[in-house]
Amino acid sequence: MDGKPEIPMLLIENLVKSYPGQHGQDAMLALRDVSFKVEEGSFFTLLGPSGCGKTTTLQCIAGLENPDTGVIQMGDRAVFSSRENLLVPANRRELGMVFQSYAIWPHMSVFDNVAFPLIYGVKRAPSHEVRPRVLKALEMVELGHLADRPAPLLSGGQQQRVALARALVHEPRLLLLDEPLSNLDAKLRDTMRTEIRNLVKSLGITTLFVTHDQVEAIGMSDQIVLMKAGKIVQQGSPRDIYLRPNSVFTADFMGRSNLLPGVLEAGGSTGRAQTAIGPISGVAGPELAPGAQVMVVVRPQAILVAPATEASGPNRFKARVDAMTFLGDVVETEVEVGGRKLTLMLDPYTALSVGHELVLELPPERCVIVPADEPASSGSLK
Amino acid sequence: MSGGSIAAARRPSAGLDQQKVVLALLLAVVSVLVLGPVLLLIRTSLAPSEAMPLETLEFTLKNYVQLLQSPRTLSLVWNTAVYALSSMTMGVAIATAIAWCTERTDMPGRILVRILMFAWMMVPALVVGFGWILLLNPGNGALNVMFRELFGFLQPILTIYSFWSLIIVTSFAVVPTAFVMISGLLRNMDPNLELAARVHGGGSWATLTRVTLPLLTPGLFSIGIYMFMAVVQAFDLPLIIGLSADVPVLSTRVYLLSSPDNGLPNYGLASAFGVLLLVVAGGLMWAYMRATRLGERFRVVTGKAFRPKRIRLGRWRFAALGFTFGYCAVMMLPLLILIWVSLQPSYTTPSLSALGGLSFDIYRRVLTNPMISRAVLNTVILVVSSATIVMLISCLIGWFTVRSNSRAGKILDALSFLPMAIPPIVLVLAILLLYLNTPLYGTVWILVLGHVTIYIAFGVRTMSSALIQIHKELGDAALISGASWLTSLRKVTFPLVWPQILNGWLWVFAHSARDLTVPLMLMSTGNLVAASTLWNLWQFPDLPGAAALAVLLMAALLAVVVPTQLYVARRLER
Repeated sequence: MDGKPEIPMLLIENLVKSYPGQHGQDAMLALRDVSFKVEEGSFFTLLGPSGCGKTTTLQCIAGLENPDTGVIQMGDRAVFSSRENLLVPANRRELGMVFQSYAIWPHMSVFDNVAFPLIYGVKRAPSHEVRPRVLKALEMVELGHLADRPAPLLSGGQQQRVALARALVHEPRLLLLDEPLSNLDAKLRDTMRTEIRNLVKSLGITTLFVTHDQVEAIGMSDQIVLMKAGKIVQQGSPRDIYLRPNSVFTADFMGRSNLLPGVLEAGGSTGRAQTAIGPISGVAGPELAPGAQVMVVVRPQAILVAPATEASGPNRFKARVDAMTFLGDVVETEVEVGGRKLTLMLDPYTALSVGHELVLELPPERCVIVPADEPASSGSLK
Repeated sequence: MSGGSIAAARRPSAGLDQQKVVLALLLAVVSVLVLGPVLLLIRTSLAPSEAMPLETLEFTLKNYVQLLQSPRTLSLVWNTAVYALSSMTMGVAIATAIAWCTERTDMPGRILVRILMFAWMMVPALVVGFGWILLLNPGNGALNVMFRELFGFLQPILTIYSFWSLIIVTSFAVVPTAFVMISGLLRNMDPNLELAARVHGGGSWATLTRVTLPLLTPGLFSIGIYMFMAVVQAFDLPLIIGLSADVPVLSTRVYLLSSPDNGLPNYGLASAFGVLLLVVAGGLMWAYMRATRLGERFRVVTGKAFRPKRIRLGRWRFAALGFTFGYCAVMMLPLLILIWVSLQPSYTTPSLSALGGLSFDIYRRVLTNPMISRAVLNTVILVVSSATIVMLISCLIGWFTVRSNSRAGKILDALSFLPMAIPPIVLVLAILLLYLNTPLYGTVWILVLGHVTIYIAFGVRTMSSALIQIHKELGDAALISGASWLTSLRKVTFPLVWPQILNGWLWVFAHSARDLTVPLMLMSTGNLVAASTLWNLWQFPDLPGAAALAVLLMAALLAVVVPTQLYVARRLER
């Protein structure tokens, strides 16, 4: 990623944002030194639990909130810089945005909603171009036939498409999506997920997406930034973040994991940690030195069942089936290993049942060793 | 303004933007409107009483000493307290009973009662007061004459000129406003709480006394404080009834000191009384805020429209009907007598024999009188400009109140709320002191200035509670689309709340037309409006002329306000 010659589409540097304390409380630090960059044309996701600062970051980029310090640059143009005392207001940033509530104006028709950026925006279109461009944008989201409908008569899914058409009609350089799927029902969400990604990819528009749903993030993004308490915890491709978490928090947030506390015996990519169920070989982060308190992260899907004859060897453990839940495509199985419980997924045709003895294999490249102690995360500033 | 620089220091910015310019302008306007007069009022109260305001450098506590030493001060405060407490208690009690009947029972005629109450809110207190005087004055009051003829009483049995009459007339006059507030309270109460009491075995009486009333108590308490405050600040009725009854209260004392019938105005002492009244009203305001705890502001948001189960009154419905329509009938009497008097060429008490003399001559005379035509024109200028300016400023301040977290926004909010705690009579006195020697004084625009200042607190409250219901993202979406801030307000935010804007405009329109305090205190030949002309005709005395003008004023108000309000109510229900 680093070292590419071209200027990134969006560059965020050392963003800090605090909110004044209410009722005599201390000020809240919403963003603490957030930096990242977004390459042109990529689908970039800010992911995290509520209150992690992802929405604040998006609002700062949109110009709806002003950071205390830092730099926001879009292409070669800075839109915010505390050092240069520079602030470009939201309406001059030439953005497109889909809001969580869609923010479709109820006193206007679908056409008027979508035409708004072309009529009142900074990049105004000549009046003879407005109609064809609005209709083109509506066709793009398959709503061409609803142009004259009053906005309050739309369904949730249609409102979202109108919001998308409005965000794209003036061909912004950057599209911001603020949890656009969270108000849709589950089935529609799946459809829209693919549709949004395909649409923005076909237009080649750089997209910044905010969500708290790791499934959406994994399914849609080229790059994910995972945030917690105003800080970036990890950045990478969906695959990286899912398979190579750098912390207990990432491991836990991105999906279910077995967490085994232990002490690091050897660091590096062929590391080893001593745990309650015995030594486990795995991949340790470079910042970890032998002797450190660590947590071994093993996804339920990573655990294999080895033939009973090969009970000894590295990362092999004897176990007994404690409980099984048949879920259809998998069987969620809880086993007991040396007094600790582990969860793994078996295929639905498995012959095992509760009480069976078995041998587990934890392939070392699938075991990730992360620091045990959480980074301090109190939200208040003295 | 200092507020502008606070905003600038908090955010790095390239140059001025629309928001900052508008914010600075609003801060400047509101400070001039509100702080200027109040500061001068305090200054004048500390100046020697014979000096004109702004013309002395001397500071003295003489006015306050005089105020505190005078034995009359105590009786003034006592009168004011008794007057306000009794009127408020009676008014709220009547209003609660009627509101309960219309909101929670199957009493017939509920909608008619609601319409009547809304209409009465628009009727000037001045007009009602005149009507009562025509009915009950001890000499030739219509009811007294009637009783005398029917029963042969030699002495008038009722008199309008007594403390009790003042209290009763005032309490009747506060009922419509209290009714509207209390029925809102009843409508917002979740009927499931009452149903739960019924399900668990509570009877009607137990439900009413153990569940409904305790639940309503905090709301009723804060409405009570609000009405108490309104009566303390009231000026019209204490002026036309109280002074003849020899019951001076704080508001009329301020008026008499600053516009005495003979002699020079004593602005110093008037200001000292003004400050006293200001302190009392401020204390009440504080109590009101504590009682409501900002609940007022957020109630709108959570207020769901419930469909309560109505109680079947059975035989009691006649009692309920009798009470409600009895009140309505009594409220009609002063209006009917005014219509009667306006149709007689010279003042005559109602009788069958006088029926033949009915004519529209007085109306013809009133409408062709050039002084009155001038006053009508002035009234139109006054009410339309006041309502428009108030709503324009209120929309913008309301936006900052709801959307802006800056300190300047908070200062603006507080400043615009301040007039709520300033009794109109005190504010007008302060405006009088500030503009006495400017060309503005004596024009209709000084009245506009007064009304804008008085009603701005209401306007801002209306608009901020309307705007708080508009999702912030709707306005943000316009900004992101590239529209400037003012365009986003003009095209998106304000069109979304226009029924509330229209409602607020109407309220200011009606209150500006019915108010006597400002036109009377600032009266000169150049700025007569309907209310002050009405007062002049009454004092002259030209009773038929005054009655005709009162009827015309009422008719005009109802003709504008009622249809528009019905229209707005329908829009809001959708």
